[in-house]
Amino acid sequence: MEIEGYHFPDDLYYDKEHCWCRVEDNVVVTGTTDFAQKMAGEIVYVQLPLVGKSVTQGKPCAALESGKWVGRIYAVVSGKVKEVNEELEDTPDLINGGPYEQGWIFKIEPSNLEEDLKNLMQGDDLVQFIKSEIIRVAAEKK
Amino acid sequence: MYLFDLGKLPGQQSMLIFHALARMGVEALVIVSPKNPLVSIGYFQDAGREIDLSFCRENGIPFMRREVGGGGTYLDENQVFYQLIWKRSNPRFPVEMKRIFEELSIPACETYRKFGIEASFRQENDIVTRDGKKIAGEGGGDIGACMVLVGDKVYKSMEENLTTMKRELGDIPPREEVVKTLVREYEKVIGRFESVALDNRIVERTKTLEKKFTSDRFLFKKTRKVPKGIKIRGGVEIRYGIHKAKGGLIKTVEELEQETIKEIGISGDFQFYPKDDLSTMEVELRKTEFDQGKVNNKIEQFYEEHRIQAPGVMPEDFTKAIVQSESEGSE
Repeated sequence: MEIEGYHFPDDLYYDKEHCWCRVEDNVVVTGTTDFAQKMAGEIVYVQLPLVGKSVTQGKPCAALESGKWVGRIYAVVSGKVKEVNEELEDTPDLINGGPYEQGWIFKIEPSNLEEDLKNLMQGDDLVQFIKSEIIRVAAEKK
Repeated sequence: MYLFDLGKLPGQQSMLIFHALARMGVEALVIVSPKNPLVSIGYFQDAGREIDLSFCRENGIPFMRREVGGGGTYLDENQVFYQLIWKRSNPRFPVEMKRIFEELSIPACETYRKFGIEASFRQENDIVTRDGKKIAGEGGGDIGACMVLVGDKVYKSMEENLTTMKRELGDIPPREEVVKTLVREYEKVIGRFESVALDNRIVERTKTLEKKFTSDRFLFKKTRKVPKGIKIRGGVEIRYGIHKAKGGLIKTVEELEQETIKEIGISGDFQFYPKDDLSTMEVELRKTEFDQGKVNNKIEQFYEEHRIQAPGVMPEDFTKAIVQSESEGSE
């Protein structure tokens, strides 16, 4: 779906840190949203988590830099890092070009998926949350 | 929002304060100067590349990694360090990175103006004088539930591109005047501050963090890859080179403009005779195209003409340090 110019695929789950996840069989693919990449501007560096590292839902586990800003990337669900998108080491701005496709950041082998998904947003909840964020951005531009 | 006007604090404490406050969710403006010099690197920077570690150790200059972006900085008591901490959810603050830097740089720019220096904000997040010289650098990041913007002066070595209040005005204005003006300008943007002192809880948190921030594990953490050249001025790129030759470690920093060396600095722990000719070689390398063959020819020719004696350091070693690919340099 499109929310005032920001793209949010319907089949994904979202958290309030502007990260997303897609469940593919027993693996959860994660990344940062279109809204987040637009707020960040050109992403110049991504520090990926180590494969095998345990991550906890809502806790930072990776980082990225845009301009001179260090932004944290949060684990959307708990589990172990199964794979990282090494392409981002050379071309971090893949996130800007396609945050839900080639700009995925890492994959997690979830440990508590069913419960974790209940804490994430889709549909109306997401629309409401993103609209409240957009209001802040719009107010800044006035 | 609180105001911590801390005067001068021991070097590392002046940096640890904002890390502690952000973790504690305390929204504040911190104004502080380091009592003694220290060197700080950005979150993603490589300590071995950015800092002359042996020089710092020999001279008792502490060094640390910070959790915000930006480049390597040398900080001392002549600099006013401003650190702004706010909760990510605070609607008074911008969300978009570009706007965070733009809007929250206004107080620093206005402060310079009040002292007679026409300063303005410029992407990538520097404050520059009318003739384009950088007078302050800023960095920021998410820490805990907070966002942090910090500002200070950057590099003293790249003089052509940088300036200071002293250089612009011929003198350094009294610190208390600068601080008073800066706080007043921040209040215009953010609102009134409540002036407070550090309490035990904050001090204790700072002490706990000190262990982490000064640990080798954190300081020398592996940065997978050195970020692409850091632009300190539009069209100008700074690159860092490092190469271990048989005769010692060679470190270089190059300022490139349109793929040509504009300025270069070479240092390290190698021997080079005649000593003064190293500076001459730096001058000779200016205007050389940033190409392995061309750089190597220039250095070989220089060795020959000046009868350079550098045990264990061949022209190729300098070339490797200067024109290495980024990936070669990162491992």
